[in-house]
Amino acid sequence: MMLAQELPRLLNGTPGTPLTLGQHEATFATSFKVASLLDELEASGLTGRGGAAFPTARKARLLRDQRGHNKVVVVNAMEGEPVSYKDSTLLSTNPHLVLDGAAILASIIGAKDVIVCVSRDNPNAVGNVQRALDERARAGARGPTFKLETAPWRYVAGEESALVHWLNDNESLPQYRPQRPSILKIRHHAVLLDNVETCAHVGLIGRFGAAWFRTLGTTVSTGSMLVTVTGAVDRPKVLEVVAGMTLRTVLDYAKADPDPQALLLGGYGGAWLDGAHLDAPYDNESLAQWGATVGAGIVVALGRDGCGVLETQRVVQWMANESARQCGPCAFGLPALSEDLADVVTGTRNAALALDRLEHRCGVIEGRGACRHPDGVVRLVRSALRVFAADFQGHASGAPCQASRSGKFFVAVPRLEKESELVWE
Amino acid sequence: MIALTTPYLWYTTRATGMVTLILFTLVVTLGTFVANRVGGTVVGRFEVNELHRSVSIVAVIFLVFHITTTVIDSYVPTGWISILVPMTSAYRRVGVALGAVAFDLILAVWISSLLKVRVKNETWRFIHWFSWLAFASAVLHAYLTGTDAKSGAGLAVVAACATCVAAAALWRYVKRPTRAAGRTALSPLAASKGPGPGVPRPVSSKASSSFSRGESGVVTPSNTRAKPESFPRSPSPRSKRRR
Amino acid sequence: MGVRRRAGAFYLRVNPILCDGFGHCHELAPELVNMDEWGYPVIRREPTPLSDLATLASARFAVRGCPRQALRIERVSES
Repeated sequence: MMLAQELPRLLNGTPGTPLTLGQHEATFATSFKVASLLDELEASGLTGRGGAAFPTARKARLLRDQRGHNKVVVVNAMEGEPVSYKDSTLLSTNPHLVLDGAAILASIIGAKDVIVCVSRDNPNAVGNVQRALDERARAGARGPTFKLETAPWRYVAGEESALVHWLNDNESLPQYRPQRPSILKIRHHAVLLDNVETCAHVGLIGRFGAAWFRTLGTTVSTGSMLVTVTGAVDRPKVLEVVAGMTLRTVLDYAKADPDPQALLLGGYGGAWLDGAHLDAPYDNESLAQWGATVGAGIVVALGRDGCGVLETQRVVQWMANESARQCGPCAFGLPALSEDLADVVTGTRNAALALDRLEHRCGVIEGRGACRHPDGVVRLVRSALRVFAADFQGHASGAPCQASRSGKFFVAVPRLEKESELVWE
Repeated sequence: MIALTTPYLWYTTRATGMVTLILFTLVVTLGTFVANRVGGTVVGRFEVNELHRSVSIVAVIFLVFHITTTVIDSYVPTGWISILVPMTSAYRRVGVALGAVAFDLILAVWISSLLKVRVKNETWRFIHWFSWLAFASAVLHAYLTGTDAKSGAGLAVVAACATCVAAAALWRYVKRPTRAAGRTALSPLAASKGPGPGVPRPVSSKASSSFSRGESGVVTPSNTRAKPESFPRSPSPRSKRRR
Repeated sequence: MGVRRRAGAFYLRVNPILCDGFGHCHELAPELVNMDEWGYPVIRREPTPLSDLATLASARFAVRGCPRQALRIERVSES
């Protein structure tokens, strides 16, 4: 029986060597039986780990109350954020925990099918899931029918409406959803979509109960969570941490630079946090005062010898290219932001004008897309303008900092693909 | 059926036929103006759209006159069925068939437009593309069936209409607003160039050659997803995906 | 026949995926719709009272005139 107040929970294993079904059953053995799964889920206070932190029980209850006999559970392992490795690490440590959780969710809402969606550009994860599914099939496990689907990797492909649209129509395009709450559908069948880490937590709650789950974390952000720390670290790390730990502690565990200039929290669509606030607890409630969120458990440490302006420009340029180009403000606005940032970084003649225009354009672009992609970029740019205000002024007045010319990057940005190379289906 | 024939029915048919062709030429040309976003300064874009819609109503009315007078006139043995079903007319089979094809397509376009609010936009647009085919069919119908179209003023009118629409089609393609180009298979005009006419051009993309090829300060794990960083290039030309 | 006082308000909402930046809405309902520099509509976020008949009429024209049927009028009724 797993003791309370003990980490690791999810990463109880060796990343890279996934537990077999037998090992999984042995590690997480328990005689504790849960009476009502939905009530346990509600009592646990589990929130989604995909970035939005929506209460999982509320979503499950909403789906349970939908009519229909052929509901589907979709496990989102797409991991669209390039600097997030937690989902693939989880799948390489213990995929069976995830599948347990998905089966529990399926039994709660009354679904007979579970679809696990992994990015096809991540063959390790695909292999891990496939092997886990085969093991379960060989062991003759009862429960819902599992299916593995591999979608092409794009930033927006992990967005829930884009993923469901891909399952329906083979194109990873986010959908316009004016009605909230809006139920996703695969061919008229209601869909419960949850992040892979969320499903893993559900799997644990199903075995050990809500009280056990709550022994870690704060009263609002319960349980443990996975964090990917990149940037000023010797190598990228995925750690299991607890909400309430300070950022300083998280960086310490990751053996990252203890005195970073700033931290990028939440992902490419997240926000910068000044390095002076390292004693802030790492949870949504505390970070909210600086406009940041935990997001998908992403922390990128920017060293003192890095340039926040340059890093922001690189991220925005890539994010602009990853736009689905369905909505004008995103298709045209994000490249405009990217070009303005490029002007500022290099300190051209237009730099001062571009800097003024950035805030104005952010205001124009925000909230006018079908999905939250442009909003994320706007949030990033605004937080950069706040945190790196002095640097922006320096660059805009024609004096780019030394750091920006050193060629050293802390935020890993994938290669910029040509428009004709982008694969959406 | 009443065996009705008077020369005036026959003249009405021919006259309304000509007028219908001219009106549809106008409709199609106005349609290209709407699609290519003509207007905005002196004439409003919505006005061009409204004109397109209004003229199409008039054109359809004249078309109905033309069809009715043809069918009730027993001078030419065309039955009611040949309005909709091609190749069922005893009189000038091919010519009337083309007219029936044109009418079928125009009917589809018209009804889908009347129900535009209820129909999905991509469905409506798919049907609307057939208006080009309808016009081509109508011109051929005019030439092959029309008593007047074979020579003289009638031929001049038909030829002028055909030329006008052909020119409009060419202009439609050349000046297409590429901002709205995209991946849908419905549009034969998909392309990936910069924004179209009447749109303020975005700041021209810069060659970011001032960036040197940087070494990453981060060791990326062997994940095929995160490909190695190359120096920031300028973004590719913009277009918006057309749905 | 009396005049029925309309209570409540409405929003003009655009489906940004369908919108292709034709700009007819801005011409038909300029009090509700502005254009951004790329030709796409920036619509007022505050609801307009239904008693503002002129604006409601403009909004209706905009909905009807949009070539992509991207606009909708959404009622916000107050009790």
